[in-house]
Amino acid sequence: MSISEQIKNLIGQIPGPDEGGSYANLDMNNIKQIEKVVVQLHKGGRNSALGLIDMLVEPGKGDDIKARFALHLLAVHITRKGSEQARSEFARAVASQVGGDRPKAIQIYLIEQLQLAGTKEVAATLGKALLDRELCDPAARALTSIRDGAAEQLLSALPNVHERQRLSVINSLAVLRAAQAADAFRQALRDPDPDTRIAAAWGIARIADASAAEVLLKCAEAHRGWERINQTDACLALAENLVAAGKRSKAAAIYTYLQRTRTELSERHVYETAERGMMTAR
Amino acid sequence: MLRQHISRRRFLATTATTAAITIVPSNVLGGARHTPPSEILTAGLIGCGGQGGEDLNTYIKAPGGDYKLLAACDVDETRLANARKKFGEHVELYTDWRRLIERNDIDVISIATPPHWHALMCIAAAQAGKDILCEKPMTRFIAEGRAVVTAVKRYGRVFQIGTSGRFGAYKSSRSRRIHKIMRSGLLKHCPAVYIHRGGFPVLRYCGKVNLKPERVPAHLDWDMYCGPSPLRPYHPHRFGGSHRFYWDYEGGSLADFAQHYVDPFQWIYGKDDTSPVEVEACAAPAHPDACGVWAWVELKYAEGLTLVLDGNEWGPRYDRKEPRHVELSDLDEESRKKVEAMPDPEPLLWFAEAVKMRKEAGGHVEASHRAVTIAHLANIAIRLGRKIRYDPVKEEIIGDEAANRLVYQPMREPWHV
Repeated sequence: MSISEQIKNLIGQIPGPDEGGSYANLDMNNIKQIEKVVVQLHKGGRNSALGLIDMLVEPGKGDDIKARFALHLLAVHITRKGSEQARSEFARAVASQVGGDRPKAIQIYLIEQLQLAGTKEVAATLGKALLDRELCDPAARALTSIRDGAAEQLLSALPNVHERQRLSVINSLAVLRAAQAADAFRQALRDPDPDTRIAAAWGIARIADASAAEVLLKCAEAHRGWERINQTDACLALAENLVAAGKRSKAAAIYTYLQRTRTELSERHVYETAERGMMTAR
Repeated sequence: MLRQHISRRRFLATTATTAAITIVPSNVLGGARHTPPSEILTAGLIGCGGQGGEDLNTYIKAPGGDYKLLAACDVDETRLANARKKFGEHVELYTDWRRLIERNDIDVISIATPPHWHALMCIAAAQAGKDILCEKPMTRFIAEGRAVVTAVKRYGRVFQIGTSGRFGAYKSSRSRRIHKIMRSGLLKHCPAVYIHRGGFPVLRYCGKVNLKPERVPAHLDWDMYCGPSPLRPYHPHRFGGSHRFYWDYEGGSLADFAQHYVDPFQWIYGKDDTSPVEVEACAAPAHPDACGVWAWVELKYAEGLTLVLDGNEWGPRYDRKEPRHVELSDLDEESRKKVEAMPDPEPLLWFAEAVKMRKEAGGHVEASHRAVTIAHLANIAIRLGRKIRYDPVKEEIIGDEAANRLVYQPMREPWHV
């Protein structure tokens, strides 16, 4: 029996959903059966992962319910303590199928499994996926979850991505608190896209980049509405992080500026927040 | 320099008094059955589905306050049209909630969208200086909750979650006694077992695993609906109530109901500022997209207190422990006397009162975050099919790096917490 037939037989033992399409029909015996299947798939290593991936189809183009479910259960299973080698093998097998000719919807599903179970070994594959318009945001999220090696991949992709992809990358660098992205954040404050500017401001706040305080304050000052609200929040978050880092005078300068400039009734809450913050910066 | 801190309501109060010199309508000075305009909260509503507007009535109007709805938002234009009929012509309608948040004339934002939006909207509302009524569950994953707490505290806003079980619990002398025992710190080991059995529509709240993509209706902004969650192909089952059955938007019957049931427990047992340290679930293997069936979840706190959520609809019944409350007899005599001498806890404030007094509301943000954390921890144990240990201070799962990927789930651009 070929490997693909073996896998097909194995996942055939997983019950299908009920008539309504849900798995509300499972009972304790079914669960034991599913667990046995997952253990067998685990034993199959790389071949199991690749065999399951071969059974995936685009949403609406066929029935891959069991293969999809099984691949995810395998991803969860190999994240258990003591399965490090299996996890690494699984992650590499799944990553090997990202970036090829498979439909993008399937590749996105694979990237989502890497978001849960991927390790630093697949960071480079995800880094390449950042350059693909459809895969970029899922890949950025997966890298953010993996963390290890993520910032390097994001920074390396940055010069080659534009518009929404650039936003995804800047946003993920900010989530990661990537101090090495300080220059990129400062540059992105001048981006034509307001969402990118907001993500960059948030990144500056998260890495507590005191040297960017002035430019951040000016950026917040220059805008109105949603962007001003967000940029101002980044200024306050930056000040809080500077206090936490012991850079009180830098924080005090931000609070002073905000108290001087947020004098409208509509920004009273900002003034008061800066006033409270100033107490901590003294 | 801002010379004087004048709130919008105080400002209105001043001008209303001035106007009274010439007009003196009966409601300006707050005569019988009238709320003075200075105390009428202006409100914006995000999410015009079933719960849209309910929290404003429950937490402002019912306890004797008043509000005026100025704006409403929804990604579904059909719902917006219905909102127009329900709330009146004066209400300005939006399809992008950010435009509503930007308005300077709104005091309170009421959030009644699916939960994957709650945290972002709460944070933005706080940043814009609004007080917040947020439907339960407060968040979709744990780290969102901490970000909301930070924002609400940063800006000194009043927050109330859309569940009121603790207000009822406060009325019970037995609950207040347990609360005092727990808060006294005199009980070194807590033998209590709190079991909430039933009330979870476990079977009905299972998602479908065979959704075939459909055309997005013209009246719906599907991209905005998905928001911070992955952009899935449209299917009506992901929308309009049944969104609850998918991990992307909520988290099944546990996420949808646990906050109601845990809210009184958490107040009674004084757990508003901490979380369980060990979580174990009995459930079917979890699908990556659709929520599934579960039997029970056992959650233990550091000092021994056990909380059990028993779905009572599927699988084996929880039978490890029997329910048991904490009693004064669990203390030694000296400690008993100390607890008996303790004053009752401060009454819990309803949202409208809390806004007026600029104090914390009964269902405040930290309590709400800790309550929904219980549901999220339970769902993480279910999704991973293993026992987890949690650090309630760092708010991280201990020794399980993959589990922490469910504690913080990166959002689709441009969103982040």
